[in-house]
Amino acid sequence: MWLVREAILLLYPRTGDLPGAIDCDIDAFLERFRRETPWRVWLGVVLGAIVFHVSPIFTVHVPLPAFLLPAGLADRHAHRISNTNVYLARQAIFVLKLPAGMLWGTNAAVRARLALPPLDEDPGTWKTS
Amino acid sequence: MEDLMTGAGTHVPFRSREEAEFIGEVDFVVVGSGAGGATAAVTLARAGAQVAIVEAGAWRDPEDYPWSAYGGMRDLMDDWGARVTLGRALWPIVQARTMGGTTVVNSAICVRTPDDIFDQWESSHGLPGLRRRVLAAQDRIEKDLSVEEVPIPARGRSNLLAQKGSLALGWSDSHYLRRYVKGCEGHGQCLQGCRSRRKQSTNLNYVPETRERGGLILSSAPVDRILTEGTRAVGVTGRFEHPRTHAEGTRFWVRARKAVIVAASVTHSPVLLMRSGIRVPALGKYFRAHPGTGVFGCYDDPVDMNVGATQGWASTAFRESPGLKLETLSIPPELVASRFAGGGTELMKRLASYRHVAMWCHAVRAESTGTVSKSLFGGPIVRYELDRQDMVRFRQGMVLLAKQHVAAGARAVLPGIAGMPFELGKDEIGLLEEAPLDPRRYVAILSHLFGGCVMGSDPRTSVVDVHGRVHGFEGLVVADASVIPTNLGVNPQHTIMGLAAVFAEDLLG
Repeated sequence: MWLVREAILLLYPRTGDLPGAIDCDIDAFLERFRRETPWRVWLGVVLGAIVFHVSPIFTVHVPLPAFLLPAGLADRHAHRISNTNVYLARQAIFVLKLPAGMLWGTNAAVRARLALPPLDEDPGTWKTS
Repeated sequence: MEDLMTGAGTHVPFRSREEAEFIGEVDFVVVGSGAGGATAAVTLARAGAQVAIVEAGAWRDPEDYPWSAYGGMRDLMDDWGARVTLGRALWPIVQARTMGGTTVVNSAICVRTPDDIFDQWESSHGLPGLRRRVLAAQDRIEKDLSVEEVPIPARGRSNLLAQKGSLALGWSDSHYLRRYVKGCEGHGQCLQGCRSRRKQSTNLNYVPETRERGGLILSSAPVDRILTEGTRAVGVTGRFEHPRTHAEGTRFWVRARKAVIVAASVTHSPVLLMRSGIRVPALGKYFRAHPGTGVFGCYDDPVDMNVGATQGWASTAFRESPGLKLETLSIPPELVASRFAGGGTELMKRLASYRHVAMWCHAVRAESTGTVSKSLFGGPIVRYELDRQDMVRFRQGMVLLAKQHVAAGARAVLPGIAGMPFELGKDEIGLLEEAPLDPRRYVAILSHLFGGCVMGSDPRTSVVDVHGRVHGFEGLVVADASVIPTNLGVNPQHTIMGLAAVFAEDLLG
């Protein structure tokens, strides 16, 4: 869980223009995501996070996991690994970005910045009669 | 055990393992409640037959629909939308699993079956006599479901720009879409289900009508197998599945006095037949699709693509040659956030332009074929990849979309091809002509699927006949997109509905 969290924070950092994943209640989201998704989906996300953290040697040529990189290098790594020419690695990062995007894109502050109304809670209900 | 049912208008939702098994008996059992299943069911029910619809997903009314894309994946999509094709590239397959099937999450685009498709079916597949009957059924369905063109106030700027671009390029057959939507309010929420009840998905009309006509509706009830006696289908069985936890519930058995109609989707129908011991040589073969991808245009003024109809414009000018459909598709920021390449501050910079981008996409009328088979766990596996000719079409579609954006006034386009620049200026879009033909370079999806239980007169090369009846079996009909033996090149919902209505009429004699 921690590896996933750190990878998402580096992929979607706060900038002057936009809130980042850190502003989006990421811990509660990841807890819910892990609980609600099929194990295969969660496994894919964890694998994506592992690929993200072990690959700086290939992107910024530093033999450290991404979570130990200085901020500037970590940011460069986040961009480069997302654009890698290695298909399976790029797909792994894409799988990681999917829930991250859902976390980020539903945040009320992000939506306000994009001139979109806030979203209500998903009801999660169904017809029982 | 509970021996229930023949009674009028019953909905049986999830039942836990602690509850008694459910047993019912009707004239016709329909597996699946999407475009095909619901149309077949209501056609039979209107003729006075007693019908059961057995749907794997939960029954959600518009008040239950999710607001977010996350909720959409969780509550409405099959397998969280995580099913992908196996091939060189892993491309997702978009299918719903909810009462109403994919009609709940699609853009409700209504296109009549093209004439040349009936010609192909007759000449290449030995399927005469469908044209008049399918078109007549489509007439009725259009009235039932209030088909209308996207109203002016709901068009939204992305759709207006698309029309502007296509007119500037002189494309014929470019138009605002006709959809099964009554008085669209343009909330841009089609993909999460229309909370305004404007979209006429089958969970709002044909399924309730079937129930009102004395039908039995089982929800959260995935069918394990079709029950057979010799070569006759006599019912279905499975276990309820909790809509949230997916925990197994009690077993259900629904017997069919006259026939079982399978309409569980292109991926699930063939696999259900396989699990049920139905042996037909062509089962699972001739899988086809409309693979597609989007090209974003960047505009100086805000486009706000999520304002207006999710899909309000299309062109079929290139359906014959090179074999493409072009259309608009607005996606929410949740999906743009992963669709845009990159990470870190560079990605955030790109996302800051969200209000200024419009996504238009193509669907390739691909001739490549694949297969649907059964995994060790009993679920579907789809093997599929595009051949070179289809990849050339795929690339041509991207070139056309880029040109259309520029003609509409875009200052740049974002093609989303790995290994190419993220943004191409107006004068650089020619680079797309030389874009790679490796499918792994593209972020694509398969939105419209065909085949797996294809129709035809020859039992060696098809699964069902011109009436939808499985070769060599009695009382077993398939009535969804899996019977379609060719790639339509247009949105398939209307064809699925037309065929399902005709097959149901044939069952009535």
